[in-house]
Amino acid sequence: MIQFDQVSKHYEGGHEALSQLSFTIDTGEMAFVTGHSGAGKSTLLKLLGVIERPSHGLITVDGQNLAKVRGRGIPKLRQRIGMVFQDHRLLMDRTVFANVELPLTIAGIARQERGRRVRAALEKVGLLSYERQLPATLSTGEQQRVGIARAIVGRPSLLIADEPTGNLDPQLAVEIMGLFAEFQQVGTTVLIASHDLPLIKRMRKRVVVLDHGRLVADLAAEEVL
Amino acid sequence: MNTTPETVQRETEPAPRSEHSRTRRVGSWREHHGWSAAASLSRLAARPLGSLLTIAVMGLALALPLAFYLLLGNVQQLGQVLGRDQAVNVFLQADQAESQARLLAKQLGDRSDVATVTVKSPQQGLDELAKLQGFSGALDALDQNPLPWVLMVQPRAGLDAPAVERLVSDMREMRSVAQVQDSGTWRQRLDALLGVGDRVVAALALMLALAALLVVGNTVRVDIASRSEEIGVLLLVGASGAFVRRPYLYAGIWYGLFSGILAALLALAIEFALSGPVARLSQAYDGKLHMGGLPVWLLLAVPLAAAALGWLGARLVSAWQLRKAV
Repeated sequence: MIQFDQVSKHYEGGHEALSQLSFTIDTGEMAFVTGHSGAGKSTLLKLLGVIERPSHGLITVDGQNLAKVRGRGIPKLRQRIGMVFQDHRLLMDRTVFANVELPLTIAGIARQERGRRVRAALEKVGLLSYERQLPATLSTGEQQRVGIARAIVGRPSLLIADEPTGNLDPQLAVEIMGLFAEFQQVGTTVLIASHDLPLIKRMRKRVVVLDHGRLVADLAAEEVL
Repeated sequence: MNTTPETVQRETEPAPRSEHSRTRRVGSWREHHGWSAAASLSRLAARPLGSLLTIAVMGLALALPLAFYLLLGNVQQLGQVLGRDQAVNVFLQADQAESQARLLAKQLGDRSDVATVTVKSPQQGLDELAKLQGFSGALDALDQNPLPWVLMVQPRAGLDAPAVERLVSDMREMRSVAQVQDSGTWRQRLDALLGVGDRVVAALALMLALAALLVVGNTVRVDIASRSEEIGVLLLVGASGAFVRRPYLYAGIWYGLFSGILAALLALAIEFALSGPVARLSQAYDGKLHMGGLPVWLLLAVPLAAAALGWLGARLVSAWQLRKAV
């Protein structure tokens, strides 16, 4: 379960990215965070990945207070979270296989097991035949799918994605979202930051709406029109 | 994307406990060390000119103190060889008999700081004087031999100037001794000079080791800066600082190791270049002078120490750089 309790984030210079944000996302729930550019969507995800720290308030993930996660606890926490980025963040000098394998290598999984799980993840995103290729030889959509495979290969309990369909055509965006929905169906908590309202409406999941860092609406799936 | 919820279930179910067993983790840790060592080596090979220049600068920096060490060792040896011809002459009282001279010679010969004692009788002294031009006539006029018994005391090889000074002082205190003649000033000067040389070599080695450390550090810093995106990704997917640092530490080790090997080879080349002139110098000293080369342990230790230095430089810089990245 993810819990934000009166969370604020101020940057140097006085910019307030998030302001007294409170909401809860249950384990196994899929939710979208939406809002205009600068609404605080990315900041919210960065706080969950301990890339940023809140200025005020409390954030817990599965009961763990993120404020107390320090030093070696940070990589351990990140190993439990799958992160997908709009710009994919792939290592361009390593093959698709090596990119997806990375979280498993970091987690100390044995080579044989790594191979099995990487291929399973690549098969899941439809890129098994691309495993020996470099990311640069793939299309943007394929690169995004490699990023998703890398995010799920470590079997995370939480999957967060920052504008994962931002660079994709509508058809591919729907497919990618369908993939996220599948992970939710098997118990993974999924939180996606997106400003693609038509796509969000189509997915019919809970939607948290931010505006200038404030929570302005929290719509249940059935409320999304 | 041919997936079903079942396949997703299978792949996202919690990892079995055995998977995280210690043995597997150690195996994976070793595997990553192997990968880091190989990857860092191939990165060095991928930019040969830059790597060679770094290694050359470090190698030359490390070779310099080795060359000085070699030079100093040989000057020391030269000093010892010259010292063999510089015995301390002990003139006994005129009334001392042969038995007393031989007894004193034995006492001195038993000392640990004395190598040899040669006894020269008054008659031998007189004969030597007679051979000197212009003395024969004057000696004929003497009705008795005025020369005393003389002990030619050779200090043990390698004895430093203060120790020789103590030996001379002890001999001066002996009752049967009239005079001790020691031309030890040159020895003191040489010892002082070698002492300065020792310090210079130590200071030089320290400074150049620091320079090598900075060279590695800067190279690794540039390497890390050029791979900041990769480091960012690694950290985001859960890599620890140690995991991210590892390839850069190996890069430091490779730079150090190769530069250490280069330094040892350069030192050997200098040794080889000096061997000819030293052989000629040795002939001038009746073959008593032998060139002291660099010991094998030192030649082996230099690459290892340089590798440790490279590791240290990489460790310091990567820790600092990664702190900024995290």
